[in-house]
Amino acid sequence: MSTLGSRLLRTTIIGKDTPIHKLDPRTKFLYFFWISLLGYIFYDFVLTFIFLVVNLLLAVVGKVVRRILLTILVIIVPWIAIAAPILSLPLGFPWNETIIYRINLFGMELPVYQEGLGWAITWPLRIAVTISAALLFMLTTKLGEIIALFFKLRLPFRALYMIAAALQFIPLLADEVGTIYQAQLSRGLKTKASIVRRVFNFLALGIPLTLSAISKVQIRAIALESRGFSAPVEKTLMYELRFKSVDYVFFAAIIFFTGVLAYIYITMGYSPIVRLRYLFG
Amino acid sequence: MGEDSVVIRFENFSYSYPDTPNVLVDINLKVEKGEALGIIGPNGAGKSTLCKAMNGLVPHFYGGYINGRVIVAGMDTLEHTVAELSTKVGLVFQEPENQLSGLALTVEEEVGFGLAMLGYPREEIKDRVREALEKVGLSGLEERSPFELSGGQQQRLAIATVLAMKPEIIVLDEPVSLLDPIGKREVFEAVKELKKTGSTLVIAEHEIEELAYIADRVIALNEGRIVMEGEVDQVLADVEGLRKITVEAPSVAQLTHILRERAGLEVNHYPIRLEEAVKLYEEVLRK
Repeated sequence: MSTLGSRLLRTTIIGKDTPIHKLDPRTKFLYFFWISLLGYIFYDFVLTFIFLVVNLLLAVVGKVVRRILLTILVIIVPWIAIAAPILSLPLGFPWNETIIYRINLFGMELPVYQEGLGWAITWPLRIAVTISAALLFMLTTKLGEIIALFFKLRLPFRALYMIAAALQFIPLLADEVGTIYQAQLSRGLKTKASIVRRVFNFLALGIPLTLSAISKVQIRAIALESRGFSAPVEKTLMYELRFKSVDYVFFAAIIFFTGVLAYIYITMGYSPIVRLRYLFG
Repeated sequence: MGEDSVVIRFENFSYSYPDTPNVLVDINLKVEKGEALGIIGPNGAGKSTLCKAMNGLVPHFYGGYINGRVIVAGMDTLEHTVAELSTKVGLVFQEPENQLSGLALTVEEEVGFGLAMLGYPREEIKDRVREALEKVGLSGLEERSPFELSGGQQQRLAIATVLAMKPEIIVLDEPVSLLDPIGKREVFEAVKELKKTGSTLVIAEHEIEELAYIADRVIALNEGRIVMEGEVDQVLADVEGLRKITVEAPSVAQLTHILRERAGLEVNHYPIRLEEAVKLYEEVLRK
């Protein structure tokens, strides 16, 4: 395979030997659910930020922090940058009530509300927690392990294959786009043109790409069929899922923190830190 | 040809795709166990369809209309699924990349994929994978991504995926047509090694020079019919017969044919391999 496709495929395969990679996929999947759920149970941007930091620390251990951080920054920072000024000012958020600061804007003194600001920061952070936990799972778990996990969760094998094959098919199509693009350029496709012209250019790429994709899918289907894909027997999973000591340590930590956070929730409510008076007045 | 040793038998077999009639017409063919059969012919002659008829893809996958029957390893392809036939017939396609399962991240997983689909025990899969990779010279690359391999390595990987199934028959449908010269050499070396092990091989191929070294027997297809059939030395040396169906005989055979026609070179039989040609011309030059 040529450049782009193999690069994409290689970047989806991070075969490192870290404690996070060694965790059973079930443990990592449970963690993804657990931390995401906590993010939504607590309406507290400080606590949610702590969850995000925990995810990033685990990503450091798993040596995948750069990619996760980059993804988070691309998604979350613009969101907060746009939402915070709108929601924290008057009329920006219907539940604005608590003034935490006043700013001077074009000669007008405007109050900054805790509710709007909190919402503008908490929601992107919640999403960041979910995305970072999902990426931590995806980037440190081999595709075969993921298949084994979902197979254990009794998802139909054909559905699993569709998802997995789609993931691997994208790089193949990326290569195909490159080839078709070069072919069309060689035949006089103009890249600097009006919008209408560019739409037609898109068709010049889209049609051959679609036809090529259909053909590739058919060939692959034939190849799979020739290798017993539809045999009516129970498939053997190449990966054997087995809990190790590191998984039990992780479970223990999850149980411990679930207890601590449950106590906090019961005694201090769903916004335990942002409502601390000495922090936010 | 002893009936007991026949592993592939086409009996009055004709086939039409749903949208293309008469792709194969009245095919009668027998392949013996341990034999290497070469299939040659121009594009559109029906070579690939003939290969696909051997593992049941024709007609199970493509549909279409069929007459006659194909018996492979004692199984009528019409009565058995492709999955059932996959342990009897291994098919290697032209494009190596498209044969990858899409589920395996490593070479090892890729080779084991077919066995896993058939529910073989994990330990047996590992043993067979190791064995298959050794046979095609890919040992040591078990943990590599299949997509990182060169074209030649990918095609050898495709052959390994077939070998792991331990089929009685291995069918190769133009396995080097999309490879560079190095890739072609790698694949042909692997195929020659397979031949040494006594596997039954069927290989559809345009690289007629290489086929001369691999095949024991050759059939030539044209417009869906078998137009030539015989020992490899006989068919590939028939320069005029091959030309009629727009297939070029090996260069050494063509050269000898031209010298015979134009310079009156006296030879009983055209060479089809380089070594034979060297020997022949040494004798001619000595005279």
